[in-house]
Amino acid sequence: MMAAVGAPEVISQLESAAKVLMAPPSMVSTEQRQHAEHIFLSFRKSKSPFAICKHILETSKVDYVLFQAATAIMEAVVREWILLEKNSIESLRTFLLTYVLQRPNLQKYVREQILLAVAVIVKRGSLDKSINCKSIFHEVSQLISSGNPTVQTLACSILTALLSEFSSSSKTSNIGLSMEFHGSCKRIFQEDDLRQIFMLTMEVLQEFSRRENLNAQMSCVFQRYLALANQVLSWNFLPPNLGRHYIAMFEATQNVMLKPTESWRETLLDHRVMDLFFTVHRKIREDSDMAQDSLQCLAQLASMHGPIFPDESAQVTYLAHLVEGLLNMINGIEIEDSEAVGISNIISNLISTFPRSVLTALPNELFASFINCLTLLTCSFGRSAALEEVLDKDDMVYMEAYDKLLESWLTLVQEDEHFPRGCFVQPAVQVFNSYIQCHLAAPDGTRNLTANGVASHEEEEINELQEDDRELFSDQLASIGMLGRIAADHCIPLLTGLLEDRVTRLHGQLQRHQQHLMASADPGTVERKVLDDLYEDIHWLILVSGYLLADDPQGETPLIPSEVMEYSIKHSTEVDINTTLQLLGSPGEKATSIPGCNRTDSVIRLLSAVLRTSEVESRATRASLTELLSPQMGKDIVWFLRRWAKTYLLVDEKLYGQISMPLSTAFGADTEGAQWIVGYLLEKVINNLSVWSSEPELANDTVELLVTLVEKRERANIVVQCENWWNLAKQFASRSPPLHMLSSTVQRTLMKALVLGGFAHMDSDTKQQYWAEVLHPLQQRFLNLINQENFAQICQEEAVKQEIVATLEALCGIAEATQIDNVASLFSFLMDFLSSCIGLMEVYRNSPETVNLIIEVFVEVAHKQICYLGETKSMKLYEVCLTLLQVYSKNNLGRKRLDVAAEEDQYQDLLLIMELLTNLLSKEFIDFSDTDEVFRGQEQSSGAGRAVSAADVVLYGVNIVLPLMSQDLLKFPSLCNQYYKLITFICEIFPEKIPQLPEELFKSLMCSLELGMTSMSSEISQLCLEALSPLAEQCAKTQEKDTPLFIATRHFLKLVFDMLVLQKHNTEMTVAAGEALYTLVCLHQVEYLELVETLLSNQRDAVIYQRLADAFNSLTASSTPPTMDRKQKVAFLKSLEEFVANVGGLLCVK
Amino acid sequence: MADPDLDFTSGDAGASTTFPMQCSALRKNGFVVLKGRPCKIVEMSTSKTGKHGHAKVHLVGIDIFSNKKYEDICPSTHNMDVPNTKRNDYQVVDISEGFLSLMMDNGDVREDLRVPEGDLGKEIESKFAAGEEMLVTVLSAMGEESAVAVKPMTK
Repeated sequence: MMAAVGAPEVISQLESAAKVLMAPPSMVSTEQRQHAEHIFLSFRKSKSPFAICKHILETSKVDYVLFQAATAIMEAVVREWILLEKNSIESLRTFLLTYVLQRPNLQKYVREQILLAVAVIVKRGSLDKSINCKSIFHEVSQLISSGNPTVQTLACSILTALLSEFSSSSKTSNIGLSMEFHGSCKRIFQEDDLRQIFMLTMEVLQEFSRRENLNAQMSCVFQRYLALANQVLSWNFLPPNLGRHYIAMFEATQNVMLKPTESWRETLLDHRVMDLFFTVHRKIREDSDMAQDSLQCLAQLASMHGPIFPDESAQVTYLAHLVEGLLNMINGIEIEDSEAVGISNIISNLISTFPRSVLTALPNELFASFINCLTLLTCSFGRSAALEEVLDKDDMVYMEAYDKLLESWLTLVQEDEHFPRGCFVQPAVQVFNSYIQCHLAAPDGTRNLTANGVASHEEEEINELQEDDRELFSDQLASIGMLGRIAADHCIPLLTGLLEDRVTRLHGQLQRHQQHLMASADPGTVERKVLDDLYEDIHWLILVSGYLLADDPQGETPLIPSEVMEYSIKHSTEVDINTTLQLLGSPGEKATSIPGCNRTDSVIRLLSAVLRTSEVESRATRASLTELLSPQMGKDIVWFLRRWAKTYLLVDEKLYGQISMPLSTAFGADTEGAQWIVGYLLEKVINNLSVWSSEPELANDTVELLVTLVEKRERANIVVQCENWWNLAKQFASRSPPLHMLSSTVQRTLMKALVLGGFAHMDSDTKQQYWAEVLHPLQQRFLNLINQENFAQICQEEAVKQEIVATLEALCGIAEATQIDNVASLFSFLMDFLSSCIGLMEVYRNSPETVNLIIEVFVEVAHKQICYLGETKSMKLYEVCLTLLQVYSKNNLGRKRLDVAAEEDQYQDLLLIMELLTNLLSKEFIDFSDTDEVFRGQEQSSGAGRAVSAADVVLYGVNIVLPLMSQDLLKFPSLCNQYYKLITFICEIFPEKIPQLPEELFKSLMCSLELGMTSMSSEISQLCLEALSPLAEQCAKTQEKDTPLFIATRHFLKLVFDMLVLQKHNTEMTVAAGEALYTLVCLHQVEYLELVETLLSNQRDAVIYQRLADAFNSLTASSTPPTMDRKQKVAFLKSLEEFVANVGGLLCVK
Repeated sequence: MADPDLDFTSGDAGASTTFPMQCSALRKNGFVVLKGRPCKIVEMSTSKTGKHGHAKVHLVGIDIFSNKKYEDICPSTHNMDVPNTKRNDYQVVDISEGFLSLMMDNGDVREDLRVPEGDLGKEIESKFAAGEEMLVTVLSAMGEESAVAVKPMTK
């Protein structure tokens, strides 16, 4: 063995470097620190450091140096694996293990690092089968049987290190091997060695669970083995035949469900395993740390599925045993806080894992007890969760547990046809009641009550980023809504009664306030507490009602839930339709004051309870009590009405097998009821927009309700018959108060709604009149303004600026209203404006805020319309966009500003321009304009056949903006991303256009690519690599040498070669880089060989030289001579992976 | 048919230097008066006290002349003052003793504007020294004026 020459010097150097690194920041300078780090880095890179490392381990007293020595060994073994003798590796492993055994007092991090090195050696050895795990297990089981806690702990550490090294590619140490290698190691390991570890662990747990008293040291060992068992049961079993790509995806999944292979059958189907974990949990449940592990083990067992079960009856037996064990465990104990999440995990896992048929095959009594237990637990966790909220705890364990259980209920009842009829009704009633109770104020409910009955009430600051309850608790609300449907007979009348009661009280309360105000005229004395309690009650009642009555699926027509429909049908014989309609049509009256109100349809009555709330709100605004109202309640009301309208308004009988008479009579097409309610909703919207302009969120929800009313043609047809609609349109067009006080986003959406309404069915006179009221004033005012002779002089006046801004905002709104059937008319309308907007760019060249908004109009138009436009229209849009960019560029080149906002403004402009160009380019892959155009790409390569393509425009655009893009601006991540996305698109879609670019543009494009590849984030780097292949292919196609592109690709060959061969890169980039390298190699074979030759000739070491030469030979063996052929490329990529695994680390050796 | 309310022909003589606007209708990148100074709004967010409280608007603005940062918070129903701002481009005809000579649209020359401090001022002076023709943008609001940008004249 090589003598450790100069070892003492090396050690003392390392030790003093360690002292620097460990010193407090104030004691050493940054340079000293960097220097010290550098010493360790180069030490770890040194060649064959084994002898010196051993020497260090045996002599040094500095823990950090020991740690670094272990790391150096680990890295060097992997790096030099092929060069090392097998028995010297073996003796190294033995040395490390013995070393640890003999030094029980090593620092934990040093010990773990040494064991990690052992695990890495074992794993690397399993690739060429040179090292056998068996001997290790033998040693470990001896350690365990020693009975000495310290030694047993060490044994556990060894097993844990092995387990995590083999478990997944994310936990594994970076040893530069392919995913395939990691995958096959893992497969072999999980069949045999993993089970060995599990058996060893079970033995230890068994042993400990028998002991009466555990001292602290013992229980510490116990805990470690329990954690190990949990790790085994959470093993993400790799199924056979999973491709490399999928392995990465597969391993990214969290919350692994236990799906062992068949070979585990005997082990895991043994009831004693499950029983042991129940026993263990009972023993340690008061220790919150250990309880988490034992419950997690049980939760994993509850998630077991797959080939381990020979048949369904085995599954039934297993599940029955599990449920029995669980019930025994829960019944008769007071659940600890720390158990809540674990227990809910067990339940949620078993409900989501076991098929319905297995659940229903459980003995009836057992199933009933299980459901009963689940019901009680859910209610109890719900109450504790509410308490947590009041106490404002950081760690909301009961909330988490409650969420899990509610989610499980949803899973159960969504397929309730498999279960005995009605078996979930009573549980649903109980869970529903307890939810409502927790959310209502005393005396009906327990909201804000702490355990000792004291109500707390404090006002916290809530910022706009905080989600509304309807989003924040959407999962809970969806489950409660579903349970409410299951028990509709109970829940719908309950909600109605509570809401009607609260509305009556609110009305009374507001009236009292009004009288009080009239008497004293001092609003300061108003006591908000009672009002706020009512608002909060109403808030939750409306949210639950909304989730109960309707779903909100994205993008499809929501249907009336079948349970609600059935409920309404079931009672329709007892219902008096006229009274129901009377109840619906009189939101200003108390429901109970209507004679016969108990013979009305309950679903309609619940809606009308919300309408009554809405009416109280509206009347309060008219009585100037707006300040007393809750904007939150206002949001709840319009949110509910929107959700309701999407589902119930103009209910389409064709979509349902059976329909409720009351519902179809009240809300069906061509009914007075539908007309009335549309009128009512419209009035509500108009009222809200005028009184609530200062509440941006409420105004937004309101205007979204308006969009819902007009976005469907059938609804819009009724809307445009309302006089109110026309009034709204006129009012908005005249820009008079109060609508002009709305925020700009709300104004845009309002414009969108008004335009959408214009496509409703109207006779041609009416339609003409409508547009004359809505769009033409916009055009007229705008033209009058900009055509004034003195426009240039008055353009800076505030009134003029506001007019311009309002017009631009309106244009964005109009573009947003684009649909396939209105694009033709909207496009020509907008085009007229776009040309004028270019004039505005000149006039307002000094006003960045206006310039920004003008570009945004173009972005919106391109975004919404380009995909529908035919060739001539697209050309028109391209041209006007080009002109815009030219004007922008002319006004901004060479311009220098001093204010702090300058960079931000420029950034916003450029981001919008990139977006505009990307939108224009999207025409090339999303095109709905006509079917012929869609298929044209098959005859010719896309774009080549047209006179001017999107590429020409976009490249021209890039040419214009590129000089404005500075390196500093590229530091804005979103701008940088957008920019590289754009240029990669261009290279991929139009490689043939690249050689024709003007020289300057071509150069900056290539510079950008190089910059992106070498000094940006890995995401950007990948984008750039993806752009290279099409460029190289383009060169190969034209066969012209010495073109600038040909020369540029030669330069990229060197860059990619260095990147792959010489630099450490992350493995996810290997594919993109490999593909680029292959096409570049095809193009520049001679240069490639030169690169290889240069690299080889720099190697002094003969062995390494040979290895490298062999590696390069086999890299290209399957593809000689390289041609641009898919099959060869795939073969090359495969060899490349081996190449990287083989010599990847080698070239980094010093 | 022209709207009778719309009268854009009158000049700005005697016009107020600010006008009121409901807080919620202000926009990011727009202008507002904070602590008596004309500011560009760089941040705008809302909050409320308690779930059933009314919205308040939090504004962060940058003084368009001094680049100082100002903040304010107010109920969203309140009216805020918005400064009337103007930007005009003038050709630089001379620089003397720290003052710019600028050519107005009507051919008159004004000489009352200082060369701005900092990089922009240096840029203007060096360009002028090099004999380059250039336009400066003059921003005015609430009775104050300052050159804020420079751009070479297009041929």
